[in-house]
Amino acid sequence: MKRSRRVVLTLMGSAAVGAVSMGLVPRTDCGPGNTTVPGPDGRPYCRPAYGGFGGTPRGFHGHGGHAHGGG
Amino acid sequence: MQRIACPERDDWRATAESAGFDFHTIDGERYWDERAYYAFTLEEIERKIEEPTGEIDAMCLELVGHAVDDEKYLRRLKIPEAFWPLISESWHRDDGSLYGRLDLSFDGRSPAKLLEYNADTPTSIFEAAVFQWTWLEQGIERHIIPKRADQFTSIHERLIEAWKKLGGAHHLHLAGMTENTEDAGTLAYLQDAASQAGLKTTLIDIEDIGLQDDGKFVDLDDRAIELAFKLYPWEWMFHDAFGARLRSATTRWIEPPWKAILSNKGILPLLWEMFPNHPNLLPAYFEDDPNAARLGTSFVRKPLYSREGANVALVSAGTTLVEQQGPYGAEGFIRQAMAPLPNFSDQYAVLGSWLVDHTPCGLSIREDENPITGNTSRFVPHAIL
Repeated sequence: MKRSRRVVLTLMGSAAVGAVSMGLVPRTDCGPGNTTVPGPDGRPYCRPAYGGFGGTPRGFHGHGGHAHGGG
Repeated sequence: MQRIACPERDDWRATAESAGFDFHTIDGERYWDERAYYAFTLEEIERKIEEPTGEIDAMCLELVGHAVDDEKYLRRLKIPEAFWPLISESWHRDDGSLYGRLDLSFDGRSPAKLLEYNADTPTSIFEAAVFQWTWLEQGIERHIIPKRADQFTSIHERLIEAWKKLGGAHHLHLAGMTENTEDAGTLAYLQDAASQAGLKTTLIDIEDIGLQDDGKFVDLDDRAIELAFKLYPWEWMFHDAFGARLRSATTRWIEPPWKAILSNKGILPLLWEMFPNHPNLLPAYFEDDPNAARLGTSFVRKPLYSREGANVALVSAGTTLVEQQGPYGAEGFIRQAMAPLPNFSDQYAVLGSWLVDHTPCGLSIREDENPITGNTSRFVPHAIL
């Protein structure tokens, strides 16, 4: 609550979004059981759906298609 | 507290995208919604939100102190026994917490009531810390809101300070489900704040974390992960393949393992047991506790583990009125007294009260036509008038 405060972002935003926001690539259809992730060159590629911490297959059915770790 | 309709900035989408806020619209529906804002008095913010938030957090820490070495508590919370030592050690080592968000029911008149504590993996912090502040500044400039308007948020500054304290000279890894736009945005924002605190950082998908023969977790360059922020729930970590290796690894995690206690809805009945009739708590009981009958036939039923309102049900006079679908509930449920959310212009509003390093420092508001806040509920800004 300080009217004089300045909120500055140094990484986020249009200049750096490709470098830091790995998940912001438009989805393409990879087929059942696969998902799109950005590759090292910034272009999307397909890989098997989520593996979890250590690669355990994990199903996120029933979460409205918006499975994510935050809440 | 009032809801005030107002014009939206005609360029807010471009402003959001230029700041990296790409999830302002989800599946074609507004997530960020500035066609109205909630107005509070300073008295409401300081006395009815900020103070109770600090008090609730203190009660939660007292609860963890009791629960962390008490088998009775840990069994009631259905925390797997194999992880009790990990949780206990992190508490006694005083592993620090970065942040958390209390969800409160508040109508401006009665005391705010704790609905639940998002202690482990809260999201919407970028919107609360940055984008609603941008809205306030531009809203004043463009005469959308009064010139005297202020806002309850020092989240951004406090995050930078907290990262300095937690990070020290360590390299920080930030891990999560990076293909999810919202989680990726949250990670990118927290990385930005950490970078401003002087930390060297690396983003990594949780499934890309590797394990070396010596038991150390490593990134894709085989660099040992000493300090990791994870936007990935502890209960999932416990059950995933590397869960069993957590205790022997040297990685220090943020949020720390002891937060697994506070992100469990079972703390709601435990808090009510420890602090009965506290003005900011609602009566709550484990579903298998005979005392749950005290709530009668109207209550809210919540799984011990749940996110974004999934599997939460409103039961009135024995009939389920509203239920959010979801995959949770295997570990059991709690029942909590019904605290009807305030309804403004046919919108139910839930307050998110933020803590950074245990200091109350900001407010976010989600609203919905549905009385259960879910992952499609809209973020609406606020102002202090």
